[in-house]
Amino acid sequence: MKLSKKVVLLGHFGVGKTSLFRRFMDNEFSEEYKVTLGVQIKKKVITLPDGRELSMIIWDAEGHSDSVEDTRKSYLLGSHAFIYVFDLTREETYITLTKDLKYLKENYNKIPAKVIGNKLDLVNEKEINTLLTEKNIPFDCLTSAKTNKNVEHFFSDLANEISK
Amino acid sequence: MANQNNPLQFNPQVQIINASYDGIITETDKNLFNWQKDTSIYDAHPFFEVLRSFAEDNDLDKKALNFPCIHLEDNQSEKICDITVTFKEQEIIIILFDYTGKYKDLNQIAQQKNESILLSKELELKNKYLIEKEEFKNSFIANINHEIRTPLTSILGFVEVLEKTKLTFEQEELARIIKRESLHLNALIDDMIDLSKIESGKLKIVEERFAFQNLIDGFRESFSKIAEEKQIVFETNIDSGVQEYLIGDRTRIYQILNNILTNAFKFTEEGKIIFSITKNYQRTNKVSLNFKIEDTGIGIMEENIPFLFDRFSRFEANKRVPGTGLGLAIVKNLVDLLNGEIKVTSELEKGTVFNIKLPFKFEVTKAAPERKKKKYKLPKTKNKFRILVVEDEEITQYLIMKVLISQGNFFVDIAINGEEAINYIERRRYDLVLMDLTLSKIDGYQATHMIRNNYGDKFISDVPIIGFSGKASHVARDKCIRSGMDDFIAKPFEQEELIYKITKQIAKKAVS
Repeated sequence: MKLSKKVVLLGHFGVGKTSLFRRFMDNEFSEEYKVTLGVQIKKKVITLPDGRELSMIIWDAEGHSDSVEDTRKSYLLGSHAFIYVFDLTREETYITLTKDLKYLKENYNKIPAKVIGNKLDLVNEKEINTLLTEKNIPFDCLTSAKTNKNVEHFFSDLANEISK
Repeated sequence: MANQNNPLQFNPQVQIINASYDGIITETDKNLFNWQKDTSIYDAHPFFEVLRSFAEDNDLDKKALNFPCIHLEDNQSEKICDITVTFKEQEIIIILFDYTGKYKDLNQIAQQKNESILLSKELELKNKYLIEKEEFKNSFIANINHEIRTPLTSILGFVEVLEKTKLTFEQEELARIIKRESLHLNALIDDMIDLSKIESGKLKIVEERFAFQNLIDGFRESFSKIAEEKQIVFETNIDSGVQEYLIGDRTRIYQILNNILTNAFKFTEEGKIIFSITKNYQRTNKVSLNFKIEDTGIGIMEENIPFLFDRFSRFEANKRVPGTGLGLAIVKNLVDLLNGEIKVTSELEKGTVFNIKLPFKFEVTKAAPERKKKKYKLPKTKNKFRILVVEDEEITQYLIMKVLISQGNFFVDIAINGEEAINYIERRRYDLVLMDLTLSKIDGYQATHMIRNNYGDKFISDVPIIGFSGKASHVARDKCIRSGMDDFIAKPFEQEELIYKITKQIAKKAVS
C-alpha cells in the first residue's frame, strides 16, 4: 500500500505559505502577493532514505488574521503534521504563536506541529535568532522561499519524521 | 452562474459522485469534471486521497463532512468548489458545488483587504526604521560631540596659553593656524548639532523681546573691521521706521544674518557688500522685514543655485575658502522654522544677492532698555580663593589649573571623580567647585546632590558649583541647575568666560 501523508500549512496571511508551497512543489517563486482563498492541495512523491516512497499531500490553507482557531476545522481533519509559518519581518505573525500552538496541541494532540520562520532573506539571521530567543519564540527552522534556503531540507526532514 | 440582481448570489453547478470505500467510482455525472466510472476517485485529485484515511477511520463522525472553497483541477478544468462527503454503509457520496465565480469575486475583496494591511504594516516598519535611524544619528552626533569637544577644549585652551608666551614669528604663525583650524572644527560641531536638532524637530524657536537695532549695530561694528582689513566697502542701510526693539528669536536671527554676511565677506575680495533692512509691511503689532545682503564677490554658477541650501554643498569655486558646507542648509531650515523666506540671485564673477524675509512682532508701548552684562569683582581678601576642580581628563585638569593659577588669585586642588571630590570637600573649605558632569563612580550630578543634601555645615552645602561638559546643550545646562549647581560652562570654554563665571559665583556668595 502506498504511503500517503497529509500536511497542512497554517499561519497568518501574507507570511509566505503559498510561496513555500510553490517552492517545494514546483521550485517556483514569485514576488507578487496573491491571497489564498480556501485551500490549494498538491501532492509530491518523496523517496525516503530507506527507499520507500511517500506521497506528501500538502494543503495550503488560507491565512488567518488573528488566530489559528479561525482556520476551518474540516481542513485540519486527517492531518499527519501541521506546519505553522510566520513572517520574520512581521511581529504580529508570531506574537500569537505560543497561543496558537497551545490550541493545536489541545485539539490535535497526536499531530506534530512544526514552526517555520519565513522570509529569512529580508532579515539578518544572527539578529533574528537573538530576537526570537529573547522573545521566547519557539521555531524548528528559518527559511526563505525566495532563495530556497532550508526549504528542501525542512520538508525532507518532515517526510522522514512522519513516515516513521 | 451569477444571479443577475445580486452578483454575489450564485446557483452552483453540481456534480454527484458515488464511490466504493476502496475509491472506485461507481456512478458520476460529468457536469464539472470528466472523471470516468470504474477509475479511483483517490487518484482524481490529491484532495480525495485524504478520504481514504477517513474511510478507514472508525472514530470519525462520517455522516457528512463539508469542505468549503477547495481548489480542484485536472487536465481540462479548474474549479473552486464546496465539497460535501457522506459516508454511507456501502458507499461514499461526494457532491461538488461549483462556486468558482463567487469565490473569485471574494478573492478580489480579500486581496485588496490583505494588501492594504500588508502595505500599512510595511510603511509602519519603514517608518519605525527611519525613526530608529534618526535617533541613532542624533545620539551619535551628541556623543561624538562630547568626545570631540573634550580634546578640542584642551587644544584651544593651550593655544591661548601658548600665545601668551614668548614665541618666534614662525611659532606665532603655527599657533595661529592651530587656533584657526580648531575654531573651524568647533564651528563644524556646532553646525552639526544645530542641523541635527532642526532635523529631529528638537530645535525650539523662542519669542523674546530684544534690541534689534543693537543687533544690527553689532554686525555693523564687527564686519566693518573685516571690511577694513580686506579693503572693501561695507554699507548698512536700515529703514528709519524699523522698531528699536522687536519680538523674535534673537539667537536664530543672529545666526541667519551672521552666516550670510560671513559668506559674503568670505567670497568678496574687492568691491562692496551692502546690508539693507527694509519693511515689507506692518500691521498692528506685526512687522515683516526684508534683509538684503548684496556682494560683488565670485558669484555662483546658475546650475548650482538650486543646490545651494543642500547639506555639504560646496562648489568647486568655493573650495579654496574654508567652510563646513552646512551653514546655508542651517540658514534655510532656520528661515523656514521662523516662517520666513529666503531667495538668492547670483551672477558668476559679478556677485550674489540674498533676500531674506522674516516676520516679527513688536510691543506697541515704549519698552525699557535691555540689560547689560553685569560686572563682578572678586571680594577683597588677604588670602587666595581655593577652587576644587573635579575632572578626570589629565589634560583638561592641567589646562584649568594653568588658567586659574595664571590669574594669581586662586589655589587649585584636583579631584578625579565624585567620590574623591566629596573626600576633599569634607577635609577642606572651598570657595568654589568646578564639576565635570561625566565622571566615573559618582558623576557630577550625584556629587552635587550629596554636597547639597548630606551636610549641615553651610560651608560645604552652600559652596558654589559650576558644572562643565562637552555636551553643550540647553538640556545639559538645565539639568545642572536642577541638580543644584549654580551655573554651567560648555567645553571648549573661553578663558575669559571661565574667569567671569568663577568671579561671579564667588562674588555672589560673598554678598549672601
